[in-house]
Amino acid sequence: MVDFFHAHQAQHYLVLAALLFALGAAGVVLRRNAIIVLMSIELMLNAVNLTFLAFARFPLVANSPMQGGFSQGHAAVFFVIATAAAEAAVGLAIIIAVFRSRTSVNVDEFDSLKL
Amino acid sequence: MPFQFANVLIFSATAVLFVFGSLVAGRFLRPDAPNREKSMIYECGEKPIGQAWFNFNPRFYLIALVFVIFEVEIAFMFPVAAVYKSFIERGEGLLAFFEIALFVGILAVGLAYVWAMGDLEWVKGLKQDVLAQLREKQAAPPAEKKAA
Amino acid sequence: MNNIHSLRFFWPESVLTVAVLAMLVQDLLVRRSPRRVGLLTIGALFWLALTALATWRTPWGNFPIFGGLLVHDPLRIFFAWLFLAAALLTVVIVPRSKEISSARLGEFFALLFALLLGMYLMASAADLLLIYLSIETVSLVSYVLTGFQRGRRRANEAALKYVIYGGVASGIMLYGISILYGLFGTTRVAGEGGIGAQLADVTSRLFLAHAFGGQPAAQLALVVAVVFLLAGVGYKIAAVPFHMWSPDVYEGAPTPFTAFLSVGPKAAGFAVAIRFFFAAFERQLPGGGYAQVGDLPWPAIIGIISAISMTLGNLTAIVQSNVKRLLAYSSIAHAGYLLMGLAAASTAGVQSILIYLIIYVLMNVGAFLVVIAVSRETGGEDIKDFRGLGTRAPIAALALVIFLFSLTGIPPFAGFIGKYLIFAAVVQRGGFWNVLLAVIGVLNSAISLFYYARLIKAMYLEEAIDQRPFRVPAVYTGVLVALAVPNSFLIFYWTPLVRWAAAAFGGSPSS
Repeated sequence: MVDFFHAHQAQHYLVLAALLFALGAAGVVLRRNAIIVLMSIELMLNAVNLTFLAFARFPLVANSPMQGGFSQGHAAVFFVIATAAAEAAVGLAIIIAVFRSRTSVNVDEFDSLKL
Repeated sequence: MPFQFANVLIFSATAVLFVFGSLVAGRFLRPDAPNREKSMIYECGEKPIGQAWFNFNPRFYLIALVFVIFEVEIAFMFPVAAVYKSFIERGEGLLAFFEIALFVGILAVGLAYVWAMGDLEWVKGLKQDVLAQLREKQAAPPAEKKAA
Repeated sequence: MNNIHSLRFFWPESVLTVAVLAMLVQDLLVRRSPRRVGLLTIGALFWLALTALATWRTPWGNFPIFGGLLVHDPLRIFFAWLFLAAALLTVVIVPRSKEISSARLGEFFALLFALLLGMYLMASAADLLLIYLSIETVSLVSYVLTGFQRGRRRANEAALKYVIYGGVASGIMLYGISILYGLFGTTRVAGEGGIGAQLADVTSRLFLAHAFGGQPAAQLALVVAVVFLLAGVGYKIAAVPFHMWSPDVYEGAPTPFTAFLSVGPKAAGFAVAIRFFFAAFERQLPGGGYAQVGDLPWPAIIGIISAISMTLGNLTAIVQSNVKRLLAYSSIAHAGYLLMGLAAASTAGVQSILIYLIIYVLMNVGAFLVVIAVSRETGGEDIKDFRGLGTRAPIAALALVIFLFSLTGIPPFAGFIGKYLIFAAVVQRGGFWNVLLAVIGVLNSAISLFYYARLIKAMYLEEAIDQRPFRVPAVYTGVLVALAVPNSFLIFYWTPLVRWAAAAFGGSPSS
């Protein structure tokens, strides 16, 4: 059986997630600052998290084919958060390295890292 | 029901005692030498008063990076804690404990590596390249001979 | 199969996890020792050998493990050997390279093992979430290794570009995964209740269409999700719409790592693509062949990407002056050739991909090794640095000629076998579009000869300013000969390759 009420509820979250994802993608394309680009990527990942959770909370299919119901969506979000943090860490480290190789080895001297 | 309330009470009491206990213990153990800088509001090494828009010292990033990784990994322990009782009921408590201990152990090796490489030290933090180059220069001649 | 029992089939990955930690600890222990390069290399070789042993001792089988997160099958073992070969070549090459400083060799090896672990997982992932996680593991380590030379500006900028493109690609892939999760209520690809099983089941397909507001809407959502997923995979194999990172990264990364990057993660990407498409959209017939389920035209999508990748890669390669960039575009073109085998959507197609990947490791790592040997001496990687190589370093030059002809796919060399099998698989599939794809592939091989020949011309017909012969380390000469020999003589005896590929893919599942 299809629960249209639930499907309808998921829709709002899905549209919001799609908008957030598009905003993030636009940010990556349009912004020049590397840190803001990284932030936009984080936004894209969080939009995906919202999609996962919307589908886990208001499933389109009546019964999950898997044991444990729709908990896979929640599990996915955990892992996405962790990888997003790791990606941000690596990304920031590389940005620091880029700024250092641009000016000098002494970090205290450069101030081009403007927000 | 009363028993569960006792649980909450014990938790609260422990929390309060822990905070005050450590503060009091610290008061007796630490050397007491206040000066102007030390009595300022603590703000992670930044000047607490002034504009919010200024360039942060990139050293913060380095510490923050290490922190973020380990902090997020903690998130993986919460789900295990949440279902740990069902593991015990199935007689797999030790197994689950071993698994999470392994997880923490792997992270601990990473932390030990960061520590041993000196990346947690504030002053030395970002001069690793220079030090590595110096070390390279000192160690290079014998290494080259050996390789050839 | 529960988790404890699954561990029996997880030995290679477990050994690799220990290897990552062991290399870190060893790095700390021998940091001040003057013999650390030798010690670390021995350590890395030891762990590689142990992983190889674990891979070899893993019982044969074809069944899901860890509750369906991974699949243990011959394909996984096949790719494991391929990755091990690529890693072994890298471990042998790196110590004599000037680009990886000896102080950070341990770090490099630890990261290499982490990369290998991610690739192992990619080759056996049967769950969308695990596919994402393994791809991300490989990507994260690749970012770090690309920017390994922290002082070099080009390396840093390449790493930054890689992070940004990679982040976007993995974000898009993840969005596709989340849509698939919504459509099917599961992230499991293979096995009972997985996406493949649901698509094969007509009632569940109708149900899916109903839930998503009619057949066209469900179909559209499915196509969008799969195309999004392809962004992540296409980015790993450097196929055209997602290839922008590769020339910069290939140029900026330390060359030994570029050599690894061009074969290892690319092969792992193909492992994911093969497993995903064949588990989700194909159903195995009793005779051993495959039949498509659902009406998603995935071979057509792959075919179009393949044709564009080949053509664009080859045409752009013509105007390159930096050899690493040239090889990067050539590797984009090769992703196109390999995708052709996937577009055939047949057992023969996949088997030809597997054979081509083996040969590709042999020829591409070889070509990069010559670049390493040359840039070690001349300090550059431009075509002009290769002038007069025929007299300055005759063995390296001859080996490069063999590798380049092999990459082109000219008959006496090994590359011809791979290309021939792929073209044959596509033509065998029949139909106008498949034949057209094969024709595009043949034309592209002709184009590729043009730029490879330019390099050969520089080596033999143009004179260098500095005519002195230069020393190629003995290890490199050994590896070059070891790679050039199979490239030249494999054509006379390649039955084992075919037999191996046939054992890896196409056998019927036992459980």
